[in-house]
Order: sequence, then C-alpha cells, then structure tokens
Amino acid sequence: MPNLIIDDLPIEVEPGTKVIEAAERLGIIIPRFCFHPALGSVGACRVCAVKFLQGPFEGVQMSCMIDALDGMVISTTDAQAVDFRRHVIEWLMLNHPHDCPVCDEGGHCLLQDMTVAGGHCIRRYKGSKRTHHDQYLGPLLQHEMNRCIQCYRCSRYYQGFAGYKDLGVMRSAAQVYFGRQDDGVLQNPFSGNLADICPTGVYTDKPSRFKGRRWDFERTPSICINCSLGCNVTVSARHREVVRQEARFNDKINGHFICDRGRYGFAYVNAADRPRRAMVGGRPADIDDVLLEARSRLARTMAEFGPQSVAAVGPLRGSLETQAALAQLSEAAGWHSPAFYVDPKAAEIAAMATARLEDKFTVSLRGIEGADVILAVGSDPVNEAPMLALAMRQAVRRGGHAAVIDSRSPTLPFEHEYLPVAVFELDVAVGRLVNFLCEDVDTQQLPAHAAAFVDECRKLPDGRFDVYLQAIARRLLAARQPVVVCGSDIVEPATVALCADVVLLLHHMGIDGKLFYTLKSANAFGAARLGSPAANVASVLRSVERGTVKALVVVEKDLHSEFPDHERLKQALAQLDLLVVIHYLDISLASRADYFLPATTIYETGGLYLNQEGRLQTAPAAVAGGRPIQQTGGGAHPPRQYNRGIPGDTPQEAWRLLLQLCGEQPAREPLLHRLEDTFATPGALTGASPVPPEGMRVGHAVNGVAPFHHDWQAALARHEQLSRDGQMLLVTVAQTFGTEPLSCRSPWLEALTPPATVRMALETATQLQLAAGDQVVLDIKPQPLTLPVVIEIGMAANVLALPRVAPHRMARRHFLLTRNRIKKVDAP
Amino acid sequence: MLPVSVRKPLQKKIASVEHARELAIDVMFELQNHYGYLSDEAVAEAAGLLDMTPLEVDELATFYTFIYREPVGVYVIHVCDSVICWMDGYESVKAYLCRRLNIDVGQTTPDGLFTLLPVCCIGYCDRAPAMLVNRKVYGHLDGAKIDRIIENLVNEAVQADQ
Repeated sequence: MPNLIIDDLPIEVEPGTKVIEAAERLGIIIPRFCFHPALGSVGACRVCAVKFLQGPFEGVQMSCMIDALDGMVISTTDAQAVDFRRHVIEWLMLNHPHDCPVCDEGGHCLLQDMTVAGGHCIRRYKGSKRTHHDQYLGPLLQHEMNRCIQCYRCSRYYQGFAGYKDLGVMRSAAQVYFGRQDDGVLQNPFSGNLADICPTGVYTDKPSRFKGRRWDFERTPSICINCSLGCNVTVSARHREVVRQEARFNDKINGHFICDRGRYGFAYVNAADRPRRAMVGGRPADIDDVLLEARSRLARTMAEFGPQSVAAVGPLRGSLETQAALAQLSEAAGWHSPAFYVDPKAAEIAAMATARLEDKFTVSLRGIEGADVILAVGSDPVNEAPMLALAMRQAVRRGGHAAVIDSRSPTLPFEHEYLPVAVFELDVAVGRLVNFLCEDVDTQQLPAHAAAFVDECRKLPDGRFDVYLQAIARRLLAARQPVVVCGSDIVEPATVALCADVVLLLHHMGIDGKLFYTLKSANAFGAARLGSPAANVASVLRSVERGTVKALVVVEKDLHSEFPDHERLKQALAQLDLLVVIHYLDISLASRADYFLPATTIYETGGLYLNQEGRLQTAPAAVAGGRPIQQTGGGAHPPRQYNRGIPGDTPQEAWRLLLQLCGEQPAREPLLHRLEDTFATPGALTGASPVPPEGMRVGHAVNGVAPFHHDWQAALARHEQLSRDGQMLLVTVAQTFGTEPLSCRSPWLEALTPPATVRMALETATQLQLAAGDQVVLDIKPQPLTLPVVIEIGMAANVLALPRVAPHRMARRHFLLTRNRIKKVDAP
Repeated sequence: MLPVSVRKPLQKKIASVEHARELAIDVMFELQNHYGYLSDEAVAEAAGLLDMTPLEVDELATFYTFIYREPVGVYVIHVCDSVICWMDGYESVKAYLCRRLNIDVGQTTPDGLFTLLPVCCIGYCDRAPAMLVNRKVYGHLDGAKIDRIIENLVNEAVQADQ
C-alpha cells in the first residue's frame, strides 16, 4: 500500500490509485476537466498539474496520469504548479465565448469555477476566436460548440463508456469538434448524461432551458421510479414545478449516470391535467367531506355484504408505505388481499423472483460491472431496465463475456453472444445448460434434490443450441464472478425459478454465482411481498362480475391503460356499488369514481422504495406540492389571493388517504412497523440509524419456496406448442421510451418514441407471407390490432414482438395465435 | 454507388485482415482516388466496407490532412507551416502562392487546377521552406522557383487535356 504525502498530509492508498484521487480523499480537490472517475485519465486538459517534490517523479506533472507511489511528496500549492495551472486555464479560455450570462451552465459550470480558482481574470489574447456551427441533437440536449475546451469527456463517455457511435470528435488541433456527423436526434438512450459530465455549457439540458439558474432551484436527492433498478437522482424544482433531474452518485446502484427515461420522465408531476381536487361523482368537493362520505359508504357496504365484498387494487410503483397501508387495511378489515398486478402470471413471477433471491446470490447493479461472465435469460436490458445495459457493458469492457438467451434479438451497446430462443423454449434451453454445467459432476456429491434436478435435466432432448449452451456452461464453470441476469417481463415463472436453480447449483459446485432479476417496475419487490401472488386485477374483476365484490378501492392504478378490454371493464365497474379511486394522474377512472381522492407523487412526499435487488431506499419530498406557478399565473404574475394554502395543495399521500378512508389515524409509524415485520428487519426503519445513502438490502429470501423443483412435462409441452401446432407467439414487450406509464407522459420522450410496430424474424415473416412494411391485422382480444411489420434480424422463429406503446398498452404478456389470425392487409 | 472494380479489391483486402478498421486509412485513400475527394457518399461507402459508423469514419477522415472532405483542384499544394519552415520564410512563400494563384489558403482556383492548403511538417526541414504538390516535395522555395513549378504544372495539365 503506497504511502505518500500531499500538501504535508500523509495518506495511504491502494496500489493503482491516481494522485488526483489520493488528494481527493484528503479533501484536496485538484482542478480537473478531462479526468472523471467513471472515465478515467487521459491527460488531455493539463489543468491538474501539481509539483512532485520527492519520490520517483520530479517537477510539475499531471496528477491524473501518475499512480500514487511510496515516498512521494507532492505539493498542489507550489508556486510553479499554480502558475502552470493559471496558464493552462488562460489558454483553454482563448476561444471560449465568455457568454456566461446567457449560458445555461452558468452557475454550475466547472469551467467557471476553475477559471476563477486558477486566478485567470484578465483576458490578454486579442485575436479572433474560432467559431463552430451548433447542431440539433434532439429534444433533450442543446448543443453550443463554441464553449468547448476539448476535454474529450463527451466523446469518451458516449463511445467508450456507453458504447454508442453517433457522437464523437472530428478534426484536429484548433478545429476539434464534438458532435454528430450531421444534425439529428442522438441515438443513445443515455445521452442526457452529457449535460452532467460536460464541464462547461457545450451540452445543456434542453427541457429546463430558461427555467432558472442552479441557485434558483430547490435541489433534493431522490430516487427514479421509472424502472425497478432504483437509480438515484437529484431533483431540481422551482416555483412548485419539477424542472430538471440529474444523476446522483450511488456506488451500489447507478454509479454516476442515469438513463434518459429516468432523467426526463418526470413531466407527469407538473401536468396541467393532474387532478388536484377531491371529487364526488366527477364533481369537485371538499376532501374532508369526501373522505367522510366515502368512509361511511364503505362501512355500509361492509355491514351489508360482509368484508369480503370489498377489494383493493394497489400500485406497483407506489411507495412502500402505500403498499403496506393497503395490506394492513385489507387484513384488518378482512377484505380481499390487495391486488397489485393486473396479470396473474406477472404476480406469480414477481413472487417467485423475490422469494428466490437469497442473500448470498445478490449482486448490486454496480457489482455487475465486476462480473467476468454474464448470462442474461429472457432479458432485454436497454428496454426493460436501461442502466443494466451500461453496467453489463462495463463488465464486457473489462474483459467479461456476455451471453444473452432471449427471443427479441435485443439491441445492446456491447459485444455479446446471442441465442435466439422463443419464450416458451427458454426453460428447456436452461435445462440443457444445467446438463452441460454438470457434465463432469458426480451427482452423488450434490444434495439429493439438486441431484434429482440434474438427473431430470440430463433427460431433456438435444436441442439446436447445444453447442453454444455447452460453451456458455464451460465459461460459467471457469468464471470467477459469474452473474445470471433474468428478466421478468416476458418469461414464464418457471424460467425465473430455473435461473435461481442455476445459481444455486453453481454454489453447490463451489462457484460464487450471483443472480440479478429485473422486475416490472419500481417497488414491484414490495408489491410481491405485501400482496398475495394469488391476488390480481383480473380475478378482482371476475369477482365484481360475479357480484361478490361490491366495493372497489383503486389506489394509483390506471386500470384503463393496463386492462385493454375497456368494454368489459366499463361493465364491471358499472356493477359496483362503490368505486373509490386514489390517484395522482388524470385517469379516466377519476371521473367515473363515486369518490375520487387526489394523491401526491414521490416528488411531493417522497417515501420508501425497494429496488429489484431488495435494496431499500428512502426519498425525501422535493417540492411542496400545489399547482406550478407557471399554471396558476399563466406565465404572468400568479394571482394575488390571500389564502393560507397554496393553489392545488389538496393531494395527500395515498397511504394517508387510505388510513383516513378506513377511519384510522393517518400515522406513518405503524406502517413502518408493518414493513419491518414483513421484511424481518426489526428497527431498520423506526430505529435511530437512518437508511444509509447507498440503501440497504432488506428483501431476504422467503423460506418455503423449494429450489430445484421443476415441472419438465409442462415445460416440454410449452416447448412443443409452437412447433407442433404451427402457432405463433405474440409477446408484448417493453420499450425504453413509450411503455413505462409515468415517463410516457413526458413530451420530450414522446418525441423519441417510435411508432408501434410488430417485429418478427425474416423466416417468421416468410412463413406468414409478410414483408417489411406490410400492414398486418392481429386478431386478438379485445380488439384486433393493425400494425406495420418490421423485420428484426436475429429474432427467435415463430415469435412476434409488440411493444406496449399506446394505444396497445395491455397487461397480457403472451398471445398464442394460429396463423389465420395474422392477416396481411391488402393495399387498397 | 461504388463501381465493382473499386469495391471488389477493397473487400478482398479487408477480408484478409483481422479487424476491418485496421484498413480505414487505405480504404479512405482508395475512395478519395476514385471520387476525387472523400465525399459524404464516400464516407458512407467506407463505413459500410469497414463495418464502422459514418461518424467513426468521419472522425478519422477529418483528422488527417491528406484526406479531403471537400472537392479539391487537380493539384493540391500543401505549404508547410511548421516551425522550421516558418523560421525560414513560410509566411512569404504562402503570401507569394496566394498572390500568384489569386486565392487564399483553403481555396481552389476558379479553373479547378490548384488548391492551396497548409500542412504541418513534411520532413523537409533541411530544405525549408518547403511544400508538397500531389505527393511531390519541393524545397528551398523562392518566388522564381514557385513560378517555375506552377508553370510546369499548368503545362502538364494542358498537355494532359490535349
């Protein structure tokens, strides 16, 4: 461990630490532009110069390029080094336009800070400045190339870290230009990070332009709830409006970056059509009256028809408090257990994934970057959990190998091996993999149930991917830190269990395998634990239709968009005696509800959230709530009303409304106790110590779910279903932009959402006598869909993929279609 | 579209190396020879041949002095502006060339014969000031010598035309 002295302070660091990082640990921030912890050193900007006084290096050197070594004595304040840095700054500023007053970076600009810190305040250069044309880069980022100081962070991030190739660096010397070849929308779903890492205003956040300076904003740490990963963000708010989100460093989850869905998906909070008043039968009313009236109606229904006549439907991406309140109230009152999932299979999958994720299997998102072999099963990272793709890329950049077994031919920003396996064939493929994993294993060495499982896998028929599966198995066996990634969006519950079995088997063989599930949405983990896997919206609706459920409480769930059979939904809801809706969005259900109660979002009240790894995080409130001043004032001065409250401040936390609806004290403490019980972590939430910044894992595995238990008959039957009956499997899939219900309300992301298509492999299209661009009618319930055909090279045969973009936002995941239900529309 | 006679040999050459991008410069030069300069179409063709994105090709193309992303004249005069030539009279050589051709650096004569561009060092420091015309080096430049060179080139072009 090298020992060195920086500015008279001794420090010991791990070998390989750069001097600039060692100094940072002492609290000495050496100026930097090109150096970034996620991108490493290149020594391009020359502004981190320090003086090496003793040791293996002498004189003024770049602190980002030199490893900290034993015996070094370094001064950052040495007159020669300070003078060097001052000249570098002056030189970097030669062509800079000095447009800070009109620059959107002004106020949080590293170049501004460094210029002042470097002591450069009077311009000596009298020559003309080089100028550049700016490019249109799409709705998310504004380009202003004249401000560039050639630090190369953007091109290194864009091509190196993120792996996209449509933005880079062109020309040389004084002409260096960072941008695209031509104007155009950036193809990188992680492009927003450019605004964070650019040390000056070359790339600035477009949606928040002209909304204020950094110091005008209320900045609050928060959590992204646009997928299950739980990346950390910083929310900027002004005038009761969320205006911007930036990535917030979390060493265990997202590192320094976030995806564009998370960054720009917040528009729903500010939406003018957000319901901010309580309503009775669609007419505004006082919230206390509504609560009182709804409460007595609910009590009357329960008295008349019994507690089982009430059912509750809850949110997947709601806070843990809301989920706990629903679970607690349903249990206490004897209602049906709350339904969080619309699709019964999805509920089963989430329950399976959360039950099987043992502590020794867990790996954080950041931990994936250290994997040497990654096997992804039924997962499409960029579309389902975007930041997972970047983590996997870092593993591959470090020499790791990634193999993907999926139906969709996922587009991934890194080199990977891909096996096109249809959804229904995944189980058998993983079973074959187990067979190859245990080729040289004496099953007698394994526990009995594992041995029986391996024996069953050995009996599976040969498959056409055997050669590749065997190679993957060999890689897994030779791996130091293998990770099995398993998606939950399109796979069967059995596949989720099988992935856990593979990892457990690796452990039995002495290999420290890790398991990484992605779930359907933020807090899907909490929903799986707090709800019953048997409860789902589909069964609730059946009970309503049968007349056994008379009252329905809907909390933060948009039934209309998730349940495509609107006619059936309408009829079922009409049969109800009582419909209470608690939500923060303008959903069509709000006006149809007998009682509507407006709820707050994560931005207004924060809350506790569990990511897919069972990692608990807490978010504080970021804005006070109320309608944005932009809306109340219509762009001018807000109306001068002398009230105590602020306009539109009626919404409350869903859990608070729920408790009041049931006549309970709206206290948070009992809910936290309930959560501690559920997750067997006494004192974790109510104790003195707060949730640590990187979150803490509480979602321990549930006893009672037997490993190595698999119904191979069913798997083989599924496997043969496609080939034997000549059927096609239509799978509804997630897409980075346009399928996640909150972010798809963002106008900037809407502009990036491709129109709905149905994708299939060339051979599938040929069988169906279709060609790219043809319009096809899919005869599915509740109504047939007409979509253009897109040929996706590499997709599994007999599989059609349909993104769940509006208006096809159905919850059902699979449709088995005979060929006559897929018809080409003849051109008129 | 690139004719098969140009494309085929390039594809063969690319197939013989481990990573196609190793040959990026060779391919760009070939295409430049074919098109006269590296047009946008040529960049797209090169990207297709090399399995790179057009931007990646452009990153390289715009870095190198001898790859021309805009049309150039029959003779491209690269006048050396490196430190040795600069000490030995680069500025007057440049000024003379501009006057003689009646163009600025970066421009092409209206007859399409000459393009004047800078270059930073062509390894002719011992015979500075120097310039390069279509890969041929000329040193110890002065007004008279430049006149002779240009007259010869004009004659050469006229003869080639006939």
